[in-house]
Amino acid sequence: MTLDHVAWEAPLLERQPDRALEAYARRKMGLANPAITCFSPVPWLARALVDLHPEFGMLMHLDEHVADLAMLVVSQENSCRFCYAAVRILLWAQGMSRPRIERMEQDLARADLPPRTMAALAFARSQSRSGPAGARAAREALQRAGVGADEMKELAFAVAATDFANRVHTIPAVPVRPLERLPDRLHIRLLRPLLGLIVSRHRYRGQATALHDVPAAPYARLVRACAGLPVAPALARTLSEMWASPHLARRCKLLMLAVIARGLGCAGCEGEVAEALQAEGLPAATLVQILTHLDAPELDPVERLLVPFARDTIWFEPALIQRRARALRDQLTLPQFLEAIGVASLANGLCRMSAVVLDCA
Amino acid sequence: MTLAAVAAVALLVLAAILAAVLAGQMRRAAGLQLQLDAAADELQRLQEACSRLAPAGVVQRLLTDSSGSGTEPTAERKVVTALFADLVGYTAMSERLEPAVLARVLNGYFQRMSDAIHEHRGHVSTFLGDGILAYFGALQPNPWQCNDAVHAALAMRAAMREYNVELAREGLPPLSVGIGLHRGPGLAGLVGSRERTEYAFVGRTVNLAARVQALTRTHGVDILVTDALRVELDSRFVLKAMPAEPVKGIAEPVVTYAVLEMAAAPHDARQRFGV
Repeated sequence: MTLDHVAWEAPLLERQPDRALEAYARRKMGLANPAITCFSPVPWLARALVDLHPEFGMLMHLDEHVADLAMLVVSQENSCRFCYAAVRILLWAQGMSRPRIERMEQDLARADLPPRTMAALAFARSQSRSGPAGARAAREALQRAGVGADEMKELAFAVAATDFANRVHTIPAVPVRPLERLPDRLHIRLLRPLLGLIVSRHRYRGQATALHDVPAAPYARLVRACAGLPVAPALARTLSEMWASPHLARRCKLLMLAVIARGLGCAGCEGEVAEALQAEGLPAATLVQILTHLDAPELDPVERLLVPFARDTIWFEPALIQRRARALRDQLTLPQFLEAIGVASLANGLCRMSAVVLDCA
Repeated sequence: MTLAAVAAVALLVLAAILAAVLAGQMRRAAGLQLQLDAAADELQRLQEACSRLAPAGVVQRLLTDSSGSGTEPTAERKVVTALFADLVGYTAMSERLEPAVLARVLNGYFQRMSDAIHEHRGHVSTFLGDGILAYFGALQPNPWQCNDAVHAALAMRAAMREYNVELAREGLPPLSVGIGLHRGPGLAGLVGSRERTEYAFVGRTVNLAARVQALTRTHGVDILVTDALRVELDSRFVLKAMPAEPVKGIAEPVVTYAVLEMAAAPHDARQRFGV
């Protein structure tokens, strides 16, 4: 099964030459994501795509194979052709034959995998499809399958990181054809053992990592709940850099987070963001108006564009959101546009992860 | 001939037989692989065809749910906004037009209305003759479903105006549509028999949306919403209160509001309800 039938618009972004970023990605992952330099005008976003990848030092407890399958399921659910093709190439480069990958994809929906793997995949599917509404049931199913607390947090992280990456690549319609056709190229097939070696040498298990700085803003509770896992400092760093980035105002970012929490039905996340917005001086009544109707006279012109955009990123069809993103791009600067994609994508991942880890939906 | 030579010939013959068997097996495996690929392609085509009959998400859900646990797909209790649209004067038009022309006109109408609904995050559940039943908030949680549904209704009105310009150019009579909207609880999920299943929303909400649609003719307007939906709407929608009317199957007369337009700025209560 492929995602070739999923409609995909013409790309909205162009690659920006950035050797330092490419070198960073290669150092960390062995092979650089071919689209990474599209995001270089917003450094925190480009770095997050590298730093939050589950396979490179993020997982201590969750089996790598299960993480791979979870990433495949989430990318399939989100119809992200780019990430789906990327995970397939990763599996292929590591020695899995294409027919076996295809068989495995067909098996994802069948009950012939180990029960713990099946529970993990059902969880991944539920988180992408239902979000926080299905979090409690999905969490209980994982517990019944014998998945431990830390393993569950890492699984929730793997799903959230994939949700994030899926949106970052889908919304601006990052080109997918070259990646999808990569395994058909003769020189790539000849280089396959070398690629596999590079990938497997760079994939590594995470180690217990101390959490020093926790950002004070929303999702601090989530970061603290993951303390001790390598996931926690990576999330803390990404959040801190996201808040520090100057392209969108802090209030605008918070409003996007609030809209996504409301759309996903996570009361705990929404409450946390509402507190932060009140600290910014936004009256409670105005926030109610914004969250009820996605508009209010108090919104500035950029917020008026990004509040409805944030809601579009919760559940989407690629071509539809790509058309809407194209209209949005023409009204923002490139860094504003990219930062908006990054904030919305991160919020979608973190809200889903919070609902599972903190049981706050 | 020495024993060694006999053994060598025997080994060669054996190797040749083994090679022939192996080649045969490889040919068979290749043939099976081709059949498997063809079956996979066929499945893909079927899935794409199914996506035209039901939302792609529903098709995917049907495939994964029914093959995953072996249990029946479950229905969920939800609050959903139902939109019911019906062509005004369809019966008279169907008597005047050739069936082929009528089918083309109807397809154009369905396509434009479906696009307007889809653009505003609704999904068309079914076409009933010349009617359309659509839901907002049935497939995924949607706290903004009421605004979405009314935006969709306004987009349908605009699309209908454009379509009528096209029809007039071809010398065909104009179409008009009545749209009824209501928000309420029900059961969303896959329902049907073993032979045929469809994604549906079951409950009083759908009936009331259909009844409200019928009231558009009574009141001489094109879009009507119920009070349950009105209270959730953005204040920029300009509404006009209609007299309460009895409808079949509902004990109390139903209060409805005609949707006039979407204003740029919020309206006060007097303007908003046209009182």
